[in-house]
Amino acid sequence: MTVFKVPFNGYSVKFSPFYESQLAVATAQNFGILGNGRLHVLQLSPAPKSNQPITEIASFDTADGVYDCCWSESHDSLIIAAVADGSLKLYDLSLPPTANPIRSLQEHTREVHAVDFNVVRKDSFLSSSWDDTVKLWTVDRPASVRTFKEHAYCVYSAAWNPRHADVFASASGDCTARIWDIREPGSTMILPAHEFEILSCDWNKYDDCIIATASVDKSIKVWDVRNFRVPVAVLNGHGYAVRKVKFSPHRASVIASCSYDMTVCLWDYMVEDALIGRYDHHTEFAVGVDMSVLVDGLLASTGWDELVYVWQHGMDPRAP
Amino acid sequence: MERAIERQRVVLQHLKPSLTSSSLENIDSAISASVCAAGDSAAYHRSSVYGDDVVIVAAYRTALCKSKRGGFKDTYPDDLLAPVLRAVVEKTKLNPSEVGDIVVGTVLAPGSQRASECRMAAFYAGFPETVPVRTVNRQCSSGLQAVADVAAAIKAGFYDIGIGAGLESMTTNPMAWDGSINPRVKTMAEAQNCLLPMGVTSENVAHRFNVTRQEQDQAAVESHRKAAAATAAGKFIDEIVPIKTKIVDPKTGDEKPVTISVDDGIRPSTTVADLGKLKPVFKKDGTTTAGNSSQVSDGAGAVLLMKRSVAMQKGLPILGVFRTFAAVGVDPAIMGVGPAVAIPAAVNSAGLQLEDIDLFEINEAFASQFVYCRKKLGLDPEKINVNGGAMAIGHPLGATGARCVATLLHEMKRRGKDCRFGVVSMCIGTGMGAAAVFERGDSCDELCNARKIETNNQLSKDAL
Repeated sequence: MTVFKVPFNGYSVKFSPFYESQLAVATAQNFGILGNGRLHVLQLSPAPKSNQPITEIASFDTADGVYDCCWSESHDSLIIAAVADGSLKLYDLSLPPTANPIRSLQEHTREVHAVDFNVVRKDSFLSSSWDDTVKLWTVDRPASVRTFKEHAYCVYSAAWNPRHADVFASASGDCTARIWDIREPGSTMILPAHEFEILSCDWNKYDDCIIATASVDKSIKVWDVRNFRVPVAVLNGHGYAVRKVKFSPHRASVIASCSYDMTVCLWDYMVEDALIGRYDHHTEFAVGVDMSVLVDGLLASTGWDELVYVWQHGMDPRAP
Repeated sequence: MERAIERQRVVLQHLKPSLTSSSLENIDSAISASVCAAGDSAAYHRSSVYGDDVVIVAAYRTALCKSKRGGFKDTYPDDLLAPVLRAVVEKTKLNPSEVGDIVVGTVLAPGSQRASECRMAAFYAGFPETVPVRTVNRQCSSGLQAVADVAAAIKAGFYDIGIGAGLESMTTNPMAWDGSINPRVKTMAEAQNCLLPMGVTSENVAHRFNVTRQEQDQAAVESHRKAAAATAAGKFIDEIVPIKTKIVDPKTGDEKPVTISVDDGIRPSTTVADLGKLKPVFKKDGTTTAGNSSQVSDGAGAVLLMKRSVAMQKGLPILGVFRTFAAVGVDPAIMGVGPAVAIPAAVNSAGLQLEDIDLFEINEAFASQFVYCRKKLGLDPEKINVNGGAMAIGHPLGATGARCVATLLHEMKRRGKDCRFGVVSMCIGTGMGAAAVFERGDSCDELCNARKIETNNQLSKDAL
């Protein structure tokens, strides 16, 4: 069974884009409400039947909860943590613990909820915060390059377009998703995607016009940005608010999601019965899910039950 | 705090959004906020695994042999200690130079000489000069105190890896008083009672708490029976390090090389009837006999402790976690009651109840005090000294604590996940008691950390 117990409540999990056996986990004490945070870097054992399937390579403590993390697309040892005190912290695994974090970026005035690295122009990343803004950063600058302030409530996530280095989407509690081009002064498109808060969004990795949004209304909607009057698909099946949504890096129409209903779901939005997998291994809110870019079908999830699971789609995450 | 309340509000909005729009039917408004059932539950907190936990990765001992007559009668004390020190690093493939300190519990030998012998033993065991050594003396709990001292030093951050050990050769150093006694002792009963022979304190316990001769002899028979069964089943093989030494024939003076790997004090055929024939030693109409007292023995033990994060880095199996330790004082005239006070103290400070403890190693200094403590705490005899105790195996004063830790942890390992918490305790001459709580290292990896609740008012489906 590939499971790892972390001391705090899990908030986010991300596979390394460089090594198929590495993953980073963002955690926060006391459900992220109050207390410290910790960023874990974990190593999957190469042997399938090892008695220690996951070991910890490194961990970094923070003064407030870590809500999200992402790996650099240009350096295999660089990780960015989104911290609830409003800061972004850059950690370099190749440096000793005393040298970390290598940079702390303190500009957001409230909790940073998500961070996303640009996969095309591999030096910039976005942070989205409860202070209603999205900020653009580059690894080499001590201050943000730009602040995007249009949303009227918490921004829960911002995701780069996988094809265009200047385009990203943002999801907010003001019930809109917005599409931005950083060469433009304002957002290029406002998508009133749901009637309730939108907690997450992601781009299709094979079609640069398709995005998915996940909402408190328990649904996931798939949109074509060229024609956003009606959604391409509405995926119903979660019992509570959908916390995260993620397109598969391997299959164009496959989406992973996790929800306050404690399940992780896999969907194929192109087929009639869209729900193709449902995993109920978490015993508290499932708030983090990721799909490996390097291994087809390898999933990771974490939740407020302080556990991190890694499993192959179709298998039981709890299977010994 | 305002920030925390605001965060709670944001998350609660995700679960119970304020209904500002028309599509009401999609939202289930049956949720309400309630106090978290998990946070205040002790069981919840116990499931945590922390990198700074102090864990035991190896615990070994020598066989215990009768002093003056047994297998180690012609073995130097440092030759008892060196093999167990070597065993804990060799079997874990640890580089000896990584050890931050070696603490040895030892009682009867002169302080400075024993400290020198321990330092020499570390050299014999292959430790480099850079690894320091010290001794500790808390009488019969010195071995446990050594383990506790190392655990405390690791917690304090003095070092990450340490060895707690115990050593006693009662052949070399019999119990004796050196020099004259301060006459002032007559002015204070408590001080006077510190000089009582241990057997007399045992008679005091038996008399004051009505522990009968029959009960005591029965306990001794049980101890021998369980120790014999454990030996026959090979249970001690995992924890005993065989010692290559020599035995000198007292008549001819011939030296014979031997390898000692079995406790030699156990008498499987002992019966209550046999023990009943023995005369009391300390009081004419008393109840304490040679048969229902601990044996005078030689032996040593060593326990390797380190931070959990270090053990995980090295990929070492975790035998157990050192949870808490307590030493307490009691009336010197009835020093044997020590465990009855120390065990609840250690168990409570671990946030546990006596019922939570699955296994006990309580040193059998005398059957009287052992039976008293068992009855006083209302413990299940099936959980105590399941492989016999000091009446059968022996009680080399300074080594007993380390011996008990080794026996307890190896038994917990055999019993698997049902056996989560264990306690080692002993009484201490001059009126004290000590106890330590250990937890299985892997109990913490349970997949469910929500406790069962009576009414289903929670969001978690564990509540169902």
